[in-house]
Amino acid sequence: MAKQYDVLFRLLLLGDSGVGKTCLLCRFTDNEFHPSHISTIGVDFKMKTLEIDGIKVRIQIWDTAGQERYQTITKQYYRRAQGIFLVYDITSERSFQHIMKWASDVDEYAPEKVQKILVGNKSDEEQKRQVATEQGDKLAKAYGMDFFETSAFTNHNITESFTRLAELVLQANKKDLDLLGGSMNEELNLAVLEEQEGLCNGSDDTRKSCWC
Amino acid sequence: MVLYEHVYILSSRAHAVECVSLLKGVRESKLIGLVQQNNEHALFLYSHRRMAITGDDVTLDEIIPISYDFSVVEVSSPDELAVVGADTRVRVTFLDEELELKLPFGSQSRLFLGEVNRAWSDVCEQHPKQEPKFDWLGKYRKVSRGARSLRKATGASNIKMSQMKKSGKADGGGQKKEDERTVCESQERGKGEVRDDLIRNSQHISSNKDQMLRMPQFGLRDNLIKCELLKNEDAYTYIQNYSFFLGTYNVNGQNPKESLSPWLASAASPPDFYLVGFQELDLSKEAFLFNDTPKEPEWMLAVYKSLHPDAKYAFVKLVRLVGIMLLFYVKKEHAAHISEMEVETVGTGVMGRMGNKGAVAIRFQFHNSDICVVNCHLAAHTEEFERRNQDFKDICRRIQFRQEDPTLPPLTIMKHNVVLWLGDLNYRLSDLEVDHVKELISKKDFETLCNHDQLKRQMDEEVVFVGFTEGEIDFQPTYKYDTGSDQWDTSEKCRVPAWCDRILWRGKDIKQLNYQSHMTLKTSDHKPVSSLLEIGIKLVNDESYKRTFEEIVRRIDRLENDCIPSVSLSRSEFHFERVKFMQHQAQTVSVHNDGQVPCQFEFIQKLDEPFYCKPWLTANPCKGFLAQGGSVDIDLEVFVNRSTAPELNSGQQQLEDILVLHLERGKDYFISITGSYLPSCFGSSLATLCLLREPIQEMPLDTVRELSMKSKSQTSDPETDKPQEIPKELWMMVDHLFRYAKKQEDLFQQPGLRSEFEEIRDCLDTGSLDTLPGSNHSVAEALLLFLDALPEPVLPFSFYRQCLDISADSSQCRQIISVLPQCHRNVFNYLTAFLQELLKHAAHNRLDASVLGPIFAVLLLRSPTKQDLTEKRKVKEFLQHFLVLTPSDRDIHDKPPQ
Repeated sequence: MAKQYDVLFRLLLLGDSGVGKTCLLCRFTDNEFHPSHISTIGVDFKMKTLEIDGIKVRIQIWDTAGQERYQTITKQYYRRAQGIFLVYDITSERSFQHIMKWASDVDEYAPEKVQKILVGNKSDEEQKRQVATEQGDKLAKAYGMDFFETSAFTNHNITESFTRLAELVLQANKKDLDLLGGSMNEELNLAVLEEQEGLCNGSDDTRKSCWC
Repeated sequence: MVLYEHVYILSSRAHAVECVSLLKGVRESKLIGLVQQNNEHALFLYSHRRMAITGDDVTLDEIIPISYDFSVVEVSSPDELAVVGADTRVRVTFLDEELELKLPFGSQSRLFLGEVNRAWSDVCEQHPKQEPKFDWLGKYRKVSRGARSLRKATGASNIKMSQMKKSGKADGGGQKKEDERTVCESQERGKGEVRDDLIRNSQHISSNKDQMLRMPQFGLRDNLIKCELLKNEDAYTYIQNYSFFLGTYNVNGQNPKESLSPWLASAASPPDFYLVGFQELDLSKEAFLFNDTPKEPEWMLAVYKSLHPDAKYAFVKLVRLVGIMLLFYVKKEHAAHISEMEVETVGTGVMGRMGNKGAVAIRFQFHNSDICVVNCHLAAHTEEFERRNQDFKDICRRIQFRQEDPTLPPLTIMKHNVVLWLGDLNYRLSDLEVDHVKELISKKDFETLCNHDQLKRQMDEEVVFVGFTEGEIDFQPTYKYDTGSDQWDTSEKCRVPAWCDRILWRGKDIKQLNYQSHMTLKTSDHKPVSSLLEIGIKLVNDESYKRTFEEIVRRIDRLENDCIPSVSLSRSEFHFERVKFMQHQAQTVSVHNDGQVPCQFEFIQKLDEPFYCKPWLTANPCKGFLAQGGSVDIDLEVFVNRSTAPELNSGQQQLEDILVLHLERGKDYFISITGSYLPSCFGSSLATLCLLREPIQEMPLDTVRELSMKSKSQTSDPETDKPQEIPKELWMMVDHLFRYAKKQEDLFQQPGLRSEFEEIRDCLDTGSLDTLPGSNHSVAEALLLFLDALPEPVLPFSFYRQCLDISADSSQCRQIISVLPQCHRNVFNYLTAFLQELLKHAAHNRLDASVLGPIFAVLLLRSPTKQDLTEKRKVKEFLQHFLVLTPSDRDIHDKPPQ
């Protein structure tokens, strides 16, 4: 069995209070949904293991307080993230407009290589929709981000969006990982060589007569 | 040999511990050992790689001889609260050098420190009669890294610890304890066994580079997943049968002279596996002494040529110990499913170790089944059956296969799903005369014969091969024939025929299809034996494996998430109402550990802030340890003092802060603190107060803010904002004292009452009363506090240096006063006049300039920085000039502001 190397990433959920960041996280990690809104006052996180391209990826997802008064503090968490979800609520025009502010904060405080995707949550509440899918699409394009409309309630696009961001982070860090992976492969090749030596540790006669 | 002494140290757990060295803020994980030689001791400090396994993974860094100059003390760091389970921190000093180490919590560290202290006190007892010489340390110099290894016990050493910077990264991983264990174990193994290629030739590959690349915290997790997968094996595996051809042949040192096909290709259809064992491959002493024989390739070729012709076979492995050889072939298409193959050999011959008797073994995994195949040659001679039993036990005990994960213990034979055992077991027939045996054989009465078979008897008694099965024997004994014939032994010894060559198995889903000897082969004095087994192998259903795997990962993720430390707070928002200058207020936040693990909490500082909270706030305790289910009450205390009051008074800052309560390895909680502050004349500037015509709390906040901005910029319009000469609050206090306290004994020397100060403060800030409440002493203290709280002292900071420089010259001092900003000049003159007035009543109040001077000097001429003694003297000297009465200083206090 080929050995796999593990990688650990940190992803961050950002967006206005009440857009459903905590619900997205709960749905993704525990497959649970709690409809009542309890404001996150602080920074919470959960772990999840994914397999992407045969690599075991462990992601640590940070759920931040969305309320405005905590934003100066939550900014200090940005620099530890490799990937960021910018989340808005499709039933709240305001939360969508604030994405610009969130994005500019990310530009200022997050590492340069950070990967971002745009998420419009609560896609199940079609009748209350204030932000058209096209608007989300357009904004995501303008920022060069991928875009998902999700619903933590119906479990729509949850795994997809998390997996996508993890993939993007993996790609962005591919070079570092390949360095690691390269040396791993060397090890594997060595193991194969040892095996072959075992085959041929007899005399020349036997080497001719056996094959593998 | 040098290394062996290290090994001894490290393997004796009581004398070696893992520690973290703290050097110039660089943390590094180390192993530390106490070494004893000739009643002298030294500490050996090793750096080690992660997951250190062999001696190569640890490097001797540092030797600290335990001499009279040595000492080790426990230190507690001031910024670290002592918590249960905290690491022990010690400082090791030697001559003029110092090293700080952190030892893990627990009895082991205690024991170790005890040993070190005992060694040191021994040295001290002998001092100065007998000094340790440490000659024996010389040889370690070569071993240890770099030139600066051994600290000379005699003479001062100039080598600084700072040179001891290592490239290795330091980290207090959770794996530490584990590492140490493996170092100890593996080194012990290296020591305990005298390795000799003559006896053993199994190569140990000590490389574990791949392990080092892996992040250590995943090791545990991987094992957990492996374990769970094993437990749920039935959910994703199914059984499929494969045929295994097992053969054993004692060739009595002969060369292959005939085709082995009658033996190896006897089955109708080609078997999936071939496991062919030989004994007595080479009886020469060269083979015995050097474990090298030309017969190995000869027999290997003979086997290969005689494998079943209807299939293509891949050679997998050969393992040989002197004359005991095991060959492993598999059908080509199955080769890809073989993994985790290891071989081991064990000699049980001369001295219980030599390879003339013993066993070789191959273990491997085929699909999801673990299989171990053993070929043995046990002790000879009819009466030696108990020796054979012992050999079997020794083989089972001593064959230990290395595991891929070096932290796991080695695998023994019996740990495998399937064990196949073949060889010249050498068990004979007991209690029968040779003629009787031959008669029974000719009658093919194998059943009666079997009753006399030592192996069957011993197995019935359950003293050997417990759990193994052997098929029914319906072939005649395979030993001993005259070589090249089917004739029983005609030599002088005329041995009794016996079933020496046997094949047994152990495990589930195994069926024997055939068990026979092969009489046509005449090369040896034994006949070869074969057994064809049908073995049920566990195959993996990829689909359900994936499902099971994902389920396990999900479960472990959840477990892990549940184990993230978590607490609940009684409240996350606190509001402090009507906070006043120098008035303490506190509220309590209750923190309850509602997680599934104990946790350590701490308030952490925010980005770009020097401290975890604003200076007017404290949390007590600000860090600590919470057991699972435990609670702690944290007092949140607000106290505005002279350093925080000015910005709050002027409205430049509000009582607002957010505390970040951080759990180690866990979440962060925000606690927001707000408060309404009642501005006070205490901590307001003289200039601002001169502009305030009403008591400060009577004015709208915006006006106060505006006025304080104005007073700062000094752009006030003299027409509209005509300032008062001195602040009315100051006048009220001084006037009060002037009226009622001129003759008060010990004025400014006795403290006032706190409660009265608060009343005075409120009176000044609200104007609620016409006269000040409280005793003379309380008013006097309020005056001192007022001066002390001024953001800019009466003699502003910018004049401080100058004042000191000219403190000896009275006229220059007066000169300076004349150039002060107006309100400061007024206040200064007002206060000095008041002090002079007091001094006039010295007869009653017993005050004199030498008492009053110093009290006021340090308040009026406050230093922007810490004062030294000369400065203090000069400050007093400066004020003394003004305590001497002059007519011009008089009368200012007779002119109070409106």
